[in-house]
Amino acid sequence: MAERSSRSRGTSRALWILVLVLLAPAVVVPLLVPLYDRAEPTLWGFPFFFWFQFAMIVAAAALTLTAFLISAKADERMRAERRARRAGR
Amino acid sequence: MNGVVVGVFTFLFLLVTVMGFAAARWRRAESLDHLDEWGLGGRSFGTFIAWFLIGGDIYTAYTFIAVPATLYAGSVVGFFAVPYTIIIYPMIFLFLPRLWSVSHRHGYVTPADFVAGRYDSRPLALAVAVTGILATMPYIALQLVGMQVVLEVMGIGTENDNWFVQDLPLFLAFVVLAAYTYSSGLRAPALIAFVKDTLIYVVIIVAVIYLPSQVGGWDSIFTAANDSFDTFNAENADAIAAGAAQPKGMIPPPAAHWAYASLALGSALALFMYPHSITGVLSTRSRTVIRRNAALLPAYSFLLGLLALLGFVAIAAGIEVENAQASVPQLFEQEFTPWFAGVAFAAIVIGALVPAAIMSIAAANLWTRNIYKAFLKPGATPKEEATQSKLISLLVKFGALIFVLTLPNQFAINLQLLGGVWILQTMPAIVIGLYTRWLHRWALLAGWAVGFLYGTWLAYGVPVVGEPGSHFGGPLVKFPGTETNVYIALVAFLANLLVAVVLTVVLRAMKVDAGVDSTEADDYVADVGDEGVDPDLDPLQTARA
Repeated sequence: MAERSSRSRGTSRALWILVLVLLAPAVVVPLLVPLYDRAEPTLWGFPFFFWFQFAMIVAAAALTLTAFLISAKADERMRAERRARRAGR
Repeated sequence: MNGVVVGVFTFLFLLVTVMGFAAARWRRAESLDHLDEWGLGGRSFGTFIAWFLIGGDIYTAYTFIAVPATLYAGSVVGFFAVPYTIIIYPMIFLFLPRLWSVSHRHGYVTPADFVAGRYDSRPLALAVAVTGILATMPYIALQLVGMQVVLEVMGIGTENDNWFVQDLPLFLAFVVLAAYTYSSGLRAPALIAFVKDTLIYVVIIVAVIYLPSQVGGWDSIFTAANDSFDTFNAENADAIAAGAAQPKGMIPPPAAHWAYASLALGSALALFMYPHSITGVLSTRSRTVIRRNAALLPAYSFLLGLLALLGFVAIAAGIEVENAQASVPQLFEQEFTPWFAGVAFAAIVIGALVPAAIMSIAAANLWTRNIYKAFLKPGATPKEEATQSKLISLLVKFGALIFVLTLPNQFAINLQLLGGVWILQTMPAIVIGLYTRWLHRWALLAGWAVGFLYGTWLAYGVPVVGEPGSHFGGPLVKFPGTETNVYIALVAFLANLLVAVVLTVVLRAMKVDAGVDSTEADDYVADVGDEGVDPDLDPLQTARA
């Protein structure tokens, strides 16, 4: 059951991989504390440690939003594929 | 006690009370005598409402009090709340739509419903349900602790020596909350969440623009905080060297990197295992709503980060409080004009009511579906289920109230710490179960038990800094075999996973019955409009089918 549906997801699969690639940095980068555990350079009085994490919120939101738009497309394709599969049965 | 502060506060509180009761009529259903309606708001919430509801779930009053408090107290890992709320959304994006789909196909109301259907295991579902209830109760209690701090700073009730009069405002607020949750279900917190978040946004935006200008700008705020921590470290150098005091700071030193990252990761993984976040997500209209919200909810993270920094603002403003949790309310009291201080306090208290309501509903759903219906009364009608849930939501809330009024607050905080450790142990059964059924049901149960007990034991063994022999001193332990501090929940989770994997191999080799999976691959990607996904489907009939 599971095998058949994942194999037939062909074209939507590429999009899902793209979604994963987009989301991965949003999860991984915030966990790499050595990247941002410093005070310099400051921005508007904020030490780097703080403003970098605020910047990460914005970046992660942008990535998630892009992933959302792509996933909507992928969902659409996946549904079309499933319909085609059912019709062909 | 200031008349204007209390007047504005009371007005806003009453406004919200009226809304709570009126919510029963909002997006009116034919009858609330059904768990889908009472407990999931008819499963009809779109992007806009869901944004407020899930936001109200994740960013609770306690968060608003406790996060700045840790920065005020100079904890180097205090700011982990920000990476935590960054990494949670991609995870929600990936995992929860699958849970949404399978739940809508099979009429699952709780995560334990899913586990029961997927693994054909009543003990495992019971373990998930009990963990959910146990972890949620102290969370509700903490919302009350947050309210208590605000009421104390406002000076309500504290002038009286009688404990009953002292706690009367808290008691009243809670009775009101209980009454409208009982009558309106999930619709009440969803509607109130609008007011709560609007108020919180206004307060925080004003606070982060206005307050820094009062104390000389962000530059001098960070300098003031840094100087204050340096002074503390210099004055207590001997105690710190002897391990009797914790050094203060703003930025985690290399030794605390793993602590910072593991707290963020562990908390993020745990958060959406909490029954109340799953309730919020299942109440949405479609998979798309969940994904879109994952992209929109980080707006709250930004708010939370700014709010956390108010802890430093309090230092710069010269706030000196015994209990760090009072630092931000005290800052508002000192710096804002009275009427705006009233708005700020109302925002925090209302901010406690929304998650407390959702949490009690989620805990009640778990009880009704996975203990009452699964074990006590299998033939319960939908009406009986709804009645059970309503009653239990009352019981859960009053349990939390009695807890806060009779036991020291530290006890609630300890239990909340344990709650995070416990709830993460349900993750293999739920999240891994969304992708594969490879893990054996009995291996999952054993892994859960190991993680639960091991995590509890680890937390018990952490002494409070400077008090050898004390317990539940904090969320970090040295990772076994190393000198690196790591979040307890994550250590226990790894043990859980290890046991689950090893036992699965053994049980599969022994060909122990793995039960029948009542879900199929297609269920995990179904969306509204697909075959078998009726948004108004009776969950009981589908569960039986």
